[in-house]
Amino acid sequence: MLLKRVNVLRTILALLGLVLAACVGATQRHAMPTAPQAPTTAAPATQPPSTGTTGIKICQVTDAGGIDDKSFNATAWAGAQRAAAELGGEAKYLESQQQTDYERNINAFLEDNCDLIITVGFLLGDATAAAARANPDQLFTIVDFAYDPPFANVEGQIFATDQAAFLAGYVAAGTTKTGIVGTFGGIQIPPVTVFMDGFALGVQYYNQQNGTNVRVLGWDPATQTGLFTGNFESTDDGRALGESLLDEGADIIMPVAGPVGLGTAAAVRERGNAWIIGVDTDWTVSAPEYSNVILTSVLKRMDNAVFEVARQVATGTFKGGVYLANLENGGVGIADFGAAASAVPDAVKNALPDLTAGIIAGDIKTAP
Amino acid sequence: MATATANTITQTTYVSPTRQRVMGMVFLGFAVAIWVLFGRETEPGVITTFGMAVGAQAGSIEPLRLPSLATLNILALASAFVGAGQLARGFGRYTNWMLALVTGFFIFSFLTWAAADKSLNLVGLLNTSLSRAVPITLGAMSGILCERAGVVNIAIEGMMLFGAMSGTLVASVTDNLWLGVLAAVITGALLAVVHAVFSIKYMVDQIVSGTVINIFSVGMTSYISSKFLQHYQELNRPGTFRAFPIPVLADIPVVGPILFNNNMFVYAMFAFLILLHVALFYTRWGLRLRSVGEHPRAADTLGINVFRTRYMAVILGGMMAGFGGAFFSLGSVGRFDEVMTAGRGFIGLAAMIFGNWTPFGAFGAGLLFGFADSLQARLAILGIPIPSQFLLMVPYVATMIVLAGVVGRGEMPAADGQPYVKE
Repeated sequence: MLLKRVNVLRTILALLGLVLAACVGATQRHAMPTAPQAPTTAAPATQPPSTGTTGIKICQVTDAGGIDDKSFNATAWAGAQRAAAELGGEAKYLESQQQTDYERNINAFLEDNCDLIITVGFLLGDATAAAARANPDQLFTIVDFAYDPPFANVEGQIFATDQAAFLAGYVAAGTTKTGIVGTFGGIQIPPVTVFMDGFALGVQYYNQQNGTNVRVLGWDPATQTGLFTGNFESTDDGRALGESLLDEGADIIMPVAGPVGLGTAAAVRERGNAWIIGVDTDWTVSAPEYSNVILTSVLKRMDNAVFEVARQVATGTFKGGVYLANLENGGVGIADFGAAASAVPDAVKNALPDLTAGIIAGDIKTAP
Repeated sequence: MATATANTITQTTYVSPTRQRVMGMVFLGFAVAIWVLFGRETEPGVITTFGMAVGAQAGSIEPLRLPSLATLNILALASAFVGAGQLARGFGRYTNWMLALVTGFFIFSFLTWAAADKSLNLVGLLNTSLSRAVPITLGAMSGILCERAGVVNIAIEGMMLFGAMSGTLVASVTDNLWLGVLAAVITGALLAVVHAVFSIKYMVDQIVSGTVINIFSVGMTSYISSKFLQHYQELNRPGTFRAFPIPVLADIPVVGPILFNNNMFVYAMFAFLILLHVALFYTRWGLRLRSVGEHPRAADTLGINVFRTRYMAVILGGMMAGFGGAFFSLGSVGRFDEVMTAGRGFIGLAAMIFGNWTPFGAFGAGLLFGFADSLQARLAILGIPIPSQFLLMVPYVATMIVLAGVVGRGEMPAADGQPYVKE
C-alpha cells in the first residue's frame, strides 16, 4: 500500500519534471521566429526588398544568443546589413533558441532562395555541414569554423586573433605602470591560447623595441603553460584569478574565458588603478558597466568577414574553403581606447600603424 | 547518538604506538623531502620575496625578504627535530597539531622554493583562500542543517543557482542589495519547501527529489537569463557588496587584510558558523534536531514532532543555500551568468561529509579546498612549468589526500536519508 503510493508519487514527480522541461521548451518555441511562412518572423530587410534580379539575398542563422546579443550574432548581422546596403539586396535572419533549431532554421532558408546563408558560431558546424552536403548549389559561410576536408560551397571564417592580441599586448606593455601585465584562459585549447600567445609576444616585442622589462604573468609562450580557470562559466573564478594577478602586481589583465572575464572586471573595478582587455567583441558595448576599466578589446570583426564573403558572392568570386580574417583584411583588430585614451602613451598609439604594417608584411611574428 | 564532543575525544586522546612511530617517520620524511626536493634545487644567495599586504596597505608594509636556502634549511631542521621528538617520546594528544605544524613547514618550504628569486603575495594568497571557502562553507552548512535532521539535500547547488539569479534580479530592480539577499534567501526557502514536501510528506527518494530541483534550477535560470537578463542588461546590474574594513582591526599588519577587510558575506559566514555550532551542540533546539536525524522513532516517543522539526531544518538549510547563492552574484561579480555556481554546491556537500557533519569541520574542509585552489593559481602565475590540467586537479587531490589520510572516517547521522513513517 505504502510502496504503491511511493511509486505513484515517483511517477508524478517524473512527469512533473517532464512538464516543466516542456514548459521551458514551449515558451521558447512560441517566442521564436522559426516558421519561414510567417512574414513577421523574419527580420525586415534593411532596404526595401529588391524586386528585380539584381542584389543578393543574405540570410543569417544565429546561435542561441539571439540577434541582439551585443556579441557574435549582432556583429555578424551588422556585416550582413552593410552588405545588403552597399552591394544592393536584402538581409534577413532567423534566431535559434536552442541547438535543435539550427537545422530547422537552415532548412527554412534553403527554401527561401538565399544567395548566401550565414551560420554564426562553432556550434552550428555540424548542422551547416549536413545542409551543405545535401545542397551543393547553396552557398554558405560559417563564423569560427573550418572544415577538413573543405566544402566547395562553404567558406569557413577563421580569425587570426593572435595578430590583434599582439597589438593589445604591445599596448598593455606600453601602458602598464607596475611593469607587470597578466592574462589567463578558460580551458587550455588552441582558440584560447592563440590569444595568450599573441599577447605575450606583443609584450616581448615592446620590450625588445624599447629596452624595457615588462613581465607577463599567467602565460609562457615558450613552455605553453599558464593560468586557467578550467571552465567558461564560473565568474567567481574569474574574480579570484583577477585578484591573484592584481596581488602579484599586474595592472592590466586580459581574461580569455568568455563571461568569466567579467568577474575579473568586477575585481579590477573594485580595486582600481588597473585595466582589463576584452576579447572577441568590444566589451565597452557588450559590458558597458565596466567601460571605465576597459583598456581596449581584441576584436574578431565578424562584420568585416561577413561583408567580405558577401562581396565575393555578389562579384562571383566565392571560393569556398577557409577565409582567414586577419589584420590585412580587417577581420581582426583592437577596439578604440575609449575611456583609456588618456592612459595610453602617444608613442604607443603612434607605433600601432607601423606595427600593423609589419605584422601584415610578415616581418613580425605573432605566434611562437 | 554520536555528538561532536564524543568524536573529538576518541580522535585525540588515544594514540596507538604504531601511529606514533608512523607519524614520527612521516615528520622525518617531510624533513628529508624539504631538503631533497627544494633545498638542493635552490642556489645559495637567492632571495624569496613574500608580499605582506594587499590594496591600500601595499605601500606601507614592507614585503618579507627571506634568503631562500637558509629558510629551507631551517625548516628542514625544524621538521626533523619534531620528527625525532615524536619518535623518542611522542606528543600524545598533540600529534595531530604537530602534523599540522610540519605540514605547514612543508607548504611554506614549497612556497619559498617556488618563489625563489621571484615574489609571491602571501597575504593575498590567504585572503583569496578565505573568499573561495565562503560559498563552499555556506553550502556545507546548508547540508548540515538538513542532514543532521535526517534529510539528504543534494539540491544545494540548484538552490544556490536560483538564489544567485533571484538575488540579481531583485537587487537590480529595487536597486537595493539587501533586498536582493532577502530574495535569494526566500528563493532558497521556497525550493526547500518543495524538497521537504517531496521527501518528508510524500517520502519520494530524496536523491531523486534533489536531482529534480537541480535540473529545474539549471533550466529555469538559464532560460530566464537568456530571455531577460542578457537582453535587458539593466536587470543584470545589481552591483556588489564592497569590502567593509572593520575599524582598527583591519589596520593590523598581515592579519588585518586577511580577516578584517572583507565583504559582508565573509563576516556573515563566520557569524553563521558560530551560531550553528552553538545551536546544534549546546541548545535544546539542536539536541532535538539531531535526535530526529539519529533516531526519529525514539525522538517521537519523547514527544518531539519529527515532521515539524524536519520541515524546519530543511527550510533553514534552503535559506542558507540561497544566501550562499547570493554570494556568487552580489558578493563576487555583480551579475548573473548561466550556471555560474559551477558545482560549488556539490563541493560544499563534500566539505560537509569531510567535515563530519560539523560546521567547523566543514569550514576546515572548505578552507583547505580554497587554499589549494588559490595556491595552484599562484603557482601558474609564478610560471611553474606544470600543465594547467594537472594544476587544476590540485585542490581536489589535496582535499582528498588530507581528508582521507588524516581526518579518517566520518559518522553520518544514523537516520540520514530515511523518511520517517509514524505508526
